[in-house]
Amino acid sequence: MKSLSQLTDFYYDNLHPILEDLDKKRQNVKFRILLFGAILAFFDLAVFSFFKNNLEWLLFINIAVGTFLYKFLTSDYTSEFKDKVIAPLIQEIDENLRYTKNIHVSEFEFINSKLFTSIPDKLDGNDYISGKIDEVGIELSDIHAQKEHKDSKGRSSWSTIFQGLFIISEFNKNFNGRTIVLPDTAQSSFGDLVGGWLQSHNISRDELVKMDNPEFEREFVVYGSDQIEARYILNHTLMQRLIEFKKRLKHKIYISFVSSKIYIAIDYGKDLFEPAVFKTLLDYKVAMEYVKTLHLCVGIVEELKLNQKLWSKA
Amino acid sequence: MSVSLIIIIVIAVIFVLMYNSLVGKKNQVENIFASVDTVLKKRYNLIPNLVASVQEYMKHEKSILEDITKLRSKANKPNVSDEEKIELDKKVSSALRSIMIAVENYPNLKANENVMQLQRSLNEIEEQISAARRAYNQAVTDYNNAIEMFPTNFMANFMHYNRKKVFEIVESERKNVSVKDLFEK
Repeated sequence: MKSLSQLTDFYYDNLHPILEDLDKKRQNVKFRILLFGAILAFFDLAVFSFFKNNLEWLLFINIAVGTFLYKFLTSDYTSEFKDKVIAPLIQEIDENLRYTKNIHVSEFEFINSKLFTSIPDKLDGNDYISGKIDEVGIELSDIHAQKEHKDSKGRSSWSTIFQGLFIISEFNKNFNGRTIVLPDTAQSSFGDLVGGWLQSHNISRDELVKMDNPEFEREFVVYGSDQIEARYILNHTLMQRLIEFKKRLKHKIYISFVSSKIYIAIDYGKDLFEPAVFKTLLDYKVAMEYVKTLHLCVGIVEELKLNQKLWSKA
Repeated sequence: MSVSLIIIIVIAVIFVLMYNSLVGKKNQVENIFASVDTVLKKRYNLIPNLVASVQEYMKHEKSILEDITKLRSKANKPNVSDEEKIELDKKVSSALRSIMIAVENYPNLKANENVMQLQRSLNEIEEQISAARRAYNQAVTDYNNAIEMFPTNFMANFMHYNRKKVFEIVESERKNVSVKDLFEK
């Protein structure tokens, strides 16, 4: 796997002519979006008096038309960006990786991870990457899982269960049960006593597993079907690595160990690897976000040392 | 009349809850100790094989090999108490560690397929034992807290529950990877 600085070099050296060309298209797309935005604003002004008493309808129409137009205007540009920038970057990270822009991790895997207790009614996603890093199988993609709610009048609304990166990798130890590591929200918002009580009485989860690393306990809460197995998986070394990983990420992270795999969900709260429209692609910060995120998620195998086969797992 | 009845019922419910939580904690300790025992036995079963594989090379370490064989037969006797098992495990762990260090001094042994296989199995079992010990210690800590903390301490006293001993965690097990080590690769 290539290092971060090698990837940055690649982005600027090899992709530069492509980026310059794409950036011209970006400006074109930006101009068209602004133009349609202005037309929509004029339309709003013209029909304002009609909707005086139903402003929420006008807002609804604006959001629907705006989203549709934005998607329509950017779709060619987005697709070209993924083919010409993201795909080569992934190939450059490791040649054993494959990239498909329009598919995502399967719903089965999402549910099997047991990370989220509600079953999604809609699961979207894109940017699917799969392959092997150091002989360790890995797959990941953007995921947006949503739940539908119906009110008494039958109107439906959607809430997000999870949006971000979903990573699945083989784990280097054998186990039979489930171990789930979640961000510690109860203890950090209600304190040790009340939060601890809430955690141990969470009926939607397995038994609470108290870990013997205070720093890890502050960051995470662990539920497991087997007290010993949870500690067999989460030894002191892995706990320390997860703490370091969490510190570098700065996003909420959900981890589970089920069916001899490790599932990691990183809550970015947005669709990743989408091209910038209002900022230039040649900007260092914009470029680094693509390179860094890709490097981080594929690098998880090395970061957590999943490639070390110290145990008798064949 | 009805107020005092309600008070009596509430007190009774509190007593039942306290009693059940203490029994639950005691049983959790016993359950986990049973699992600790299983993995410890798994390790004891490897010892004869290990001794047989290394003894013809290790002339100078004869006494350690004899010690560990003795410890094993002690552990396999019936009616060994939990405290004794914890003590024995401590001794066996340190004896095994010195054998493994000694193996490093014999190039023939280090390259031996059989010894290598045993070493891998031992490492795997050590990981399992370490996990079981940590789970046991947590269960014992919860139990000890309950019998010492107010108000369950009165109930525990009445039930004749006593403090239980935890496994001492060996320093090498507690060692974390250094951060420097993490970023070197």
